[in-house]
Amino acid sequence: MNEHERWSEDVAAYLLGVLEPGRATELERHAETCERCRQAMRWLAPAVDALPETAPRREPPPALRERLLAEVRADAAAAQGGEADAGPLEQITGWLRGAGPGRRWRPLAAGFAVVLVLIAGFVGYQVGSGGGGNSPRTYTGAENGITAEVVSEGQGAELNLAHVESLPPDKVLEAWVQREGEVEPVKALFVPDRDGNASTMIADMHGVEVVMVTREPQGGTSAPTSTPIVTVPIATD
Amino acid sequence: MAVDREKAERLADEELMPLIAAKDPEAFAVFYDRHGGAAYSLAYRVVGDAGAAEDVTQEAFISLWRSGARYDRTRGSVRAWMLSIVRNRAIDALRAGAGRAPKLNFDDDSVLEQRPAEERTEEEAMRHETAGEIRGALDRLPNDQSKVIELAYFGGFSQSEISQMLGVPLGTVKGRMRLGLEKIRGELAEGLA
Repeated sequence: MNEHERWSEDVAAYLLGVLEPGRATELERHAETCERCRQAMRWLAPAVDALPETAPRREPPPALRERLLAEVRADAAAAQGGEADAGPLEQITGWLRGAGPGRRWRPLAAGFAVVLVLIAGFVGYQVGSGGGGNSPRTYTGAENGITAEVVSEGQGAELNLAHVESLPPDKVLEAWVQREGEVEPVKALFVPDRDGNASTMIADMHGVEVVMVTREPQGGTSAPTSTPIVTVPIATD
Repeated sequence: MAVDREKAERLADEELMPLIAAKDPEAFAVFYDRHGGAAYSLAYRVVGDAGAAEDVTQEAFISLWRSGARYDRTRGSVRAWMLSIVRNRAIDALRAGAGRAPKLNFDDDSVLEQRPAEERTEEEAMRHETAGEIRGALDRLPNDQSKVIELAYFGGFSQSEISQMLGVPLGTVKGRMRLGLEKIRGELAEGLA
């Protein structure tokens, strides 16, 4: 049995995706110099590509489509906002501070700040320990049956929610942070999955005192239009 | 630049990919409407559970959206590429779950669920026909060949695992896999001739 014959017996398993990883790499390396193996792969690939079509047809639940589209629309809106603004966070922060179109939201934002500081004392507690630095720290909050966790590492953080009720198609979740008593959007729009879990990233945690989440119209807003469904106080050293 | 639904529907999958990479929700919606059913069906075929199949399908499509739709034309059709992502995720979910055994029914004569002809596009009708041909080709394979292919593709079992499960030498499993795929490929080629 020559080199080609030895490897040709593995081509089918390789295409079916079940060749052991190490052996698959070896086969790929062999195929680089073996035209007959490459031909066999090209010839048999359509047979494997066709196998999914034999799965008995089942219609996916309409809710799956709604969730997917809500998530991609939220993503697209956030991306568009990011492109439109030279420095999105800084600009919106400026607006909230009274320098731009977001000025009209300042009273609401300030009101939130007061409420959040009060809530923070009751619902939040810090799980992380030790001083600052870049080691991950976890902060949690719970309200309205929703639990929230902010895992802060380096400059940013991951925000994870659990037990979130499903949203109507025209709504998304939007994350906000409070710095120096003022509420700022973090351009993080997201939706819960089928199990009520939802996650997003917060790019800049510097000086953040509280993280909160509200339900907002599709595409998000530059200032909260509803009361937070959950807040997470961030303990500062 | 975003396209409207009507324009997106006229585009081929390959033309939708750059739009999806540019974060166009309408292009994504059209792509999902074309392939979501096949993706969910495949996921269900592998994991055997509606909820898990939903999760797999959602993860696969979001991964496509977030990864910027890194489609490589040399790797076959967009649909085949998307379904390979779904299949791999479904196998991962199967392996991660407590129950390792996939739902495999070797006597399953079920074919694609019929939809009214007027609801089907020409492309869908062709896919349907192809699916029927493939199913037929699988059915016509000797049982020992179709079994190893289904255990591998829908169950994610390695050649060694299949060898142990069926109590046959590894070389026999390899041979059956190759012969089975060659026969399916031969029938596909005849169908296209």
